[in-house]
Amino acid sequence: MSEPGWNGPRHGWLVLRRELAVEAASRETLVTVTPYVAVLVLLGGLAFGPRPAVLAATAPGLVWLVVLITAIPLAPTVAVAEQQDDAWDLLRSLTTPSTLLVGKVAAVWLWLLAGWGLATVLTVALFGAGATGAGIAGGLIGTAGIATVTVLLGTLLPAATRRPALLAVLLLPATLPALVAGTQTATAGVPASAWLMLLAVFDLLTVTVTWAVFPALLED
Amino acid sequence: MSAHPTAHSRPGRTTRRAVGTVAAAAVTMLLLLGLLVAPPDAVQGQPQRLMYLHVPAAWVAYLSFATVLVASLGYLWRRDLRWDTRAQAAAEIGTGLTALTLALGSLWGRPVWGVWWAWDPRVVSTAVLLLVYVGYLGVRGLSADPHINARRAAIIGVLGFVEVPIVHFSVLWWRSLHQPPTVLRPGGARPIAVPMLAALLTGVAAFTLLAAWVYLRRLEQLATRCVPTIADASDAAPPPNPIHVHAGETR
Repeated sequence: MSEPGWNGPRHGWLVLRRELAVEAASRETLVTVTPYVAVLVLLGGLAFGPRPAVLAATAPGLVWLVVLITAIPLAPTVAVAEQQDDAWDLLRSLTTPSTLLVGKVAAVWLWLLAGWGLATVLTVALFGAGATGAGIAGGLIGTAGIATVTVLLGTLLPAATRRPALLAVLLLPATLPALVAGTQTATAGVPASAWLMLLAVFDLLTVTVTWAVFPALLED
Repeated sequence: MSAHPTAHSRPGRTTRRAVGTVAAAAVTMLLLLGLLVAPPDAVQGQPQRLMYLHVPAAWVAYLSFATVLVASLGYLWRRDLRWDTRAQAAAEIGTGLTALTLALGSLWGRPVWGVWWAWDPRVVSTAVLLLVYVGYLGVRGLSADPHINARRAAIIGVLGFVEVPIVHFSVLWWRSLHQPPTVLRPGGARPIAVPMLAALLTGVAAFTLLAAWVYLRRLEQLATRCVPTIADASDAAPPPNPIHVHAGETR
């Protein structure tokens, strides 16, 4: 691929298609995300319920907490195949690190969006929470930043099984702005524009930092 | 080859001793100003004196994390483990000072706010900052290869610094129990009594000098520990009679 810059979007799409094909074959993410989301929402209902007013008030925060916690088991799956098969070098010979990053982030974004969507549907159905346009916009924007951090840390710590808590210690604080701002965008009566802006800034920061350091990560 | 010429050499030790002496003098001055010269706060009373430790600890923690950022970028740029050693030493100091900041803030909060802990943006974001750099230090032991550890740590060191402005500006961005910046307030400084300001600034100087002394000492320790891995392999003479032992072989 002599002109990776020119072919970047196409290569990014190919990396995403590869991730989707791997998921279609293994269903690894489906069986990781779905039970996590369902169990966490149900346990949240038991912990905060049964008063309907309390459930409705806590639903937005619970949805984002669920998304963040779901990112922890997702992160080790980001680069596990590439690490085990020494495929990073092969992929890097085919395309640029930026393109690999775009494809990986797009895939994780889809998984997190699915988790966020499922959690939102469950809280609307079980908690009596409402779904607003700002909340949906917050979901779309916020999960992009979380996906970027997940790819960064998933690639950084592929062998973190010796210290599984380390991933949680690094990932959860790094995604804190999404938790706070995402919750506010979905909370009734809160002006959402400033929080959506914060989510956009969070995305911009995480994407910029990850894009800058991703080539160094692939040297492992 | 010496991995840290400044740490190992006589001029390096002399500098460290000089910094230590000045730091000791600054700490003595801080004790005098903070305990005897500065008056008790009109509203908060005696617990306000903890601010002469709490604020400098927080500021020097920021400075340490800025050093981690610079050293991490230096490592990513030069791939020289000396930059990684600098980042590690600074991160250890910053993490310790952040923990101290939270502990002192809690001691101050009990008599002034009435609670040991509050779900306040500044307090929570500082605790998160502590977690991030605990994670940074945890990353360093994951691989046997010092360069892999250094690269991973450097990336966390760059990413983690994003948290520092969030902590600092949290009192301006969100409704907070914590008071806004007193000295470095956007739009001009709020008046503060001269003896109090003197104690505060002396505290910042004393903590900076103490941190610099600990930093130099820690650099020396790390350099001693890491000499075999940091030293340029080309400078090292090959072993006179190399022994090759393969997996599965018995002697």
